[in-house]
Amino acid sequence: MIKASLRGLLQRKLRLALAVIAIVLSVGFLSGSIVLGDTLNARFAGLFSTINENVAVQVTAKDPDAAEPARLSQADLDRLSRVDGVAQASGDVSAEGVIPFRTDTGKAVTAQVGLAAGVDSRGDTLGLVELREGAWPARADEVVLSANTAKLAKAQRGTQLKVFVPQLGEARTYTVSGIAGFAGGRDSLAGETLVMFELKHAQELFYGTTGVYASASFGAASGVSQDELKKRIERELPSGFKAQTGKEATEEASNALGDSFGIFTIILSAFAGVAAFVGIFLIYNTFNIIVAQRSRELALLRAMGASWGQVIRAVLLEALVVGGFGATLGLGFGIAVGVGAEALLSNMLGVDLPSGGVVVSMWAVLWSYVVGLIVTMIAAFIPAVKASMVPPIAAMRETVRPDKSLLGLSITGGAFLVPGAGLVALALTGIGSATTLVLAGGVVLVFLGVALLSPLLAKPVVRLLGWLLGRGQAGKLGVRNALRNPRRTAVTAAALMIGVTLITTAATVAQSFKSSIEDIVGQNTGVDIMILGPNTGPPNGEIGFNPAALDEVKKLPGVTDTAAWHITIEAAIAGTPAFISAADVPTAKRMWQMQEVGGQLRTLGAQEMVVDDNMAEASRWKAGDQVTVGIGQTSKKYTIVGIYKRTPTLQGPILGLPAVDDFAGKLAYQGFVSLDDGADVAGTVAKVEDIMSDYPGVTVGDMSSFARQQSQAFDVLVNAITILLGVALLIALLGIINTLLLSIVERTRELGLVRAVGLSRGGVVRMVGVESVLISVFGCLLGVTLGVGLGAAFVKALIDLDFMSKFALPWANLAVYVGAALVFGVVAALWPARRAAKLNVLEAIAYE
Amino acid sequence: MSAAARAVDVWKVYGSGEAQVIALRGVNLEVERGKFTAIMGPSGSGKSTLMHCLAGLDSVTRGEVAVGDTRVTGLSDAGLTRLRREKVGFIFQQFNLLPTLTAEENITLPLAISGRKPDKAWYDTVIQTVGLGDRLGHRPSQLSGGQQQRVACARALVSRPEVIFADEPTGNLDSRSGADILGFLRRSVSEFGQTIVMVTHDANAASYADRVIFLADGRIVDEIENPTAEAVLDKIKSLDTLAVSEDRVEVAE
Ligand SMILES: Nc1ncnc2c1ncn2[C@@H]1O[C@H](COP(=O)(O)OP(=O)(O)OP(=O)(O)O)[C@@H](O)[C@H]1O
Ligand SMILES: [Mg+2]
Repeated sequence: MIKASLRGLLQRKLRLALAVIAIVLSVGFLSGSIVLGDTLNARFAGLFSTINENVAVQVTAKDPDAAEPARLSQADLDRLSRVDGVAQASGDVSAEGVIPFRTDTGKAVTAQVGLAAGVDSRGDTLGLVELREGAWPARADEVVLSANTAKLAKAQRGTQLKVFVPQLGEARTYTVSGIAGFAGGRDSLAGETLVMFELKHAQELFYGTTGVYASASFGAASGVSQDELKKRIERELPSGFKAQTGKEATEEASNALGDSFGIFTIILSAFAGVAAFVGIFLIYNTFNIIVAQRSRELALLRAMGASWGQVIRAVLLEALVVGGFGATLGLGFGIAVGVGAEALLSNMLGVDLPSGGVVVSMWAVLWSYVVGLIVTMIAAFIPAVKASMVPPIAAMRETVRPDKSLLGLSITGGAFLVPGAGLVALALTGIGSATTLVLAGGVVLVFLGVALLSPLLAKPVVRLLGWLLGRGQAGKLGVRNALRNPRRTAVTAAALMIGVTLITTAATVAQSFKSSIEDIVGQNTGVDIMILGPNTGPPNGEIGFNPAALDEVKKLPGVTDTAAWHITIEAAIAGTPAFISAADVPTAKRMWQMQEVGGQLRTLGAQEMVVDDNMAEASRWKAGDQVTVGIGQTSKKYTIVGIYKRTPTLQGPILGLPAVDDFAGKLAYQGFVSLDDGADVAGTVAKVEDIMSDYPGVTVGDMSSFARQQSQAFDVLVNAITILLGVALLIALLGIINTLLLSIVERTRELGLVRAVGLSRGGVVRMVGVESVLISVFGCLLGVTLGVGLGAAFVKALIDLDFMSKFALPWANLAVYVGAALVFGVVAALWPARRAAKLNVLEAIAYE
Repeated sequence: MSAAARAVDVWKVYGSGEAQVIALRGVNLEVERGKFTAIMGPSGSGKSTLMHCLAGLDSVTRGEVAVGDTRVTGLSDAGLTRLRREKVGFIFQQFNLLPTLTAEENITLPLAISGRKPDKAWYDTVIQTVGLGDRLGHRPSQLSGGQQQRVACARALVSRPEVIFADEPTGNLDSRSGADILGFLRRSVSEFGQTIVMVTHDANAASYADRVIFLADGRIVDEIENPTAEAVLDKIKSLDTLAVSEDRVEVAE
């Protein structure tokens, strides 16, 4: 029995190959994304162990995010460096967001991270940074650059270099006194820029006073272990500080970075998950067809006395072999994909990370076999049970089984669809905290529901499409073939539907955003020019521009009003994280035409705020109420003095300008400019740009260019999503090819017959092509419909939250998708149609 | 007038070396126009092979085949397709019909494929002859084996091909249904002048033909004009003895 089934397997090389390809693709991208994430993490771990290579113990503030974080004094550092077993000591003075300007173009250097440090004449005693040429900075106006920084800024020793220092809120000019590199001959650790100031100057710049350090690192004398040194240093620690071994510090840092990279890995895994989900359809369909085609053979075995169990076991054994083989190949493919993607990504981001080797974690292996093996076995089991329930004689007589009722299937579909839609609705109204999970679960249920209902839809829709596309006799035969097994057509189409749905949803939401923005721009609020902060990091007061720069803007001809907008996301309102602004409310009211709904929109004093009506309603606040507002590490009671009408551009809590003292920095993140009617907008934009050129990453534009920029950002997002879903689409394409090929095998005799009664090769190609296009366009239409529906649900939720103002259909995109589906269908048909056309007529007729 | 189909010194060899089978050994045959020709012979004697070669479904190893005035040997695929559309019709032993089409659609399929309209009067005549009037809207799965073969006959007749080739069209039917089918074929020859070549094992079936060709071991060994079932049976018997005596000769050698 086992031998018989294994031999049966090998005789069907084509079908076997198709099943294996289905599994390899689904498994490959899932394991690939896991391998990518793990390998990237290993690289970062490698980065931090390089940084901490000579560090035995690190002393840091227990609470570095405090409003007034604890600092080490020179005396503390001196005391700690005299601890027995300390070989080297280095006090750390450092900052982020310090950005050099290019000497050739005058533009800010765009690197992922702009680091700064303070060094004295001894340089880095722990040996991470090595001076390559020149001298360590000896004066307040000297800096040493890392080789990467020098390269990016086009600076050399002796160059005058403009450097933006966020603590100053402006750029200053320094003389480059030397160029440094990193241990091991590297120009940067990970593509960042590094500007090193003279120690005392750095302390003053970053901490406001000399002789203090944020943290310190210590090297151990030979024979003293990290743990031992940590114990000794702990005895001497000043309060508010903690000691960690170099190893612990490395782990902590790479975990923190891994977490921020985690979101990226999660997004990627989500897309890989979609691909695997689509792959499950493909695997299921493949096995379903294969087992159905073998039902005659299985019936023969049964007639010869094989038991029900034996037949099922034989099929399962096949699935086990194919699934195991496919999963293993898929895992190998996934590793290759992961490694390739990692190289590509590092290259694209310009991140020059130390290699951490390829990491294949247990999860990658586990998921590969879960998807590859278990899904395959389930996919084979269901049709095997069905096949074994057909009486042997009926199966052997090859009676064309009459259409089975789709009622049960449709009811099951409804049973998935309704709760799925319910979950989506629930998630979008924002009840409960596990919103993303509820949403994902809801969407999966909706997909399954629609997939189960799709055979019911297949008949009318394919008939209609066939009436449009199936011209000529060959076309008509293709339409009949697409209709003859609605389940097969539907499952194949449903695989395509999933990708198209997600893309359409994204396009619909994006289009709605875009037309909402256009509406706002059209609404002429009185704001003519916008100044936007850099997107290098989250706004917290440390990035942006000095609001004093707006005084200069105000002096420009034609400018009637300016408003500085301070924003921080390091904030909480009544305990929940929030995005807080601080601004002069009367100016904002004038420029944005804010409507007073309650209280008063007046100049705010310390601990006074206004909120939007939506928020007030949701939290049952009214003017006069007190609310706790946390900014950074501070927490204060604020009085609500006014409530304004929320708009898509203006929303959330607005504090008075005195609150900016509690922000991490005093930089404004956005600025708004009003002009006289008839003022020269483009000319003024250029002048404002000039004023803002000292602030890295700050962009200036009129309202329409802002709208254009936003639209482009959405287009980029939709394109990125489309590309990431490309794998899912590719698998769906393969699914169509698969179904067609298997159907052709099944219909060999019919192909011979139509050829015998005069259908030409071209006719056969057209017949297969029409079937393929019908499947593909049907899947696309399902996806577009479902995607527009989901998109509308999202848009409704976003409109309720006032993030956008209207729903708009992405007509152009939809047309492109349907057009692409046509092409997709033709491409999918190429190979199967060739195979069908090449069949020898006589052999096809005699085919058993 | 030329023959409806002609084979000149046709050889057909399958495989090579050890596995070589010579299915036809220099067959010469003229199928007369407007006549019903039956091909008989023991299993494996090359009946189907000969028919396939005549119909252009299979290529010949040597020799020449023509249907009407079209030389079949050496035709390209497009040429063969045109031949099938315009000059030949087929009735196979089973699986003659597309399960997705109704009986009527199956009947008109060859015409639809070549983009021709059925001649209404002729179509009605054919339908009437095969007696399918009330079954035309049915799918093959809803028809009996006999009915399915009638549909296949109607399909072959409706495009008025130069020759209809039928390979054991009654092989899967009971004698009643078989007799019906043979009756239609006979009538279409007698009344409409259709040319038919039919392979059969059954002496009774062969008796419907105008002429019976006997094949043995890839060669035409005999033929009878206007056969009766008894005459055919007698001929088969005598050929069997011949074969047996040939076997003896071989053994003696
Ligand atoms: N495709 C093929 N490959 C190899 N040998 C073949 C092939 N087709 C037929 N043959 C051989 O050619 C010979 C003639 O076969 P053919 O099918 O013409 O016989 P037949 O007279 O129709 O027999 P039957 O009455 O059983 O249908 C047989 O020996 C057969 O084995
Ligand atoms: Mg035969």
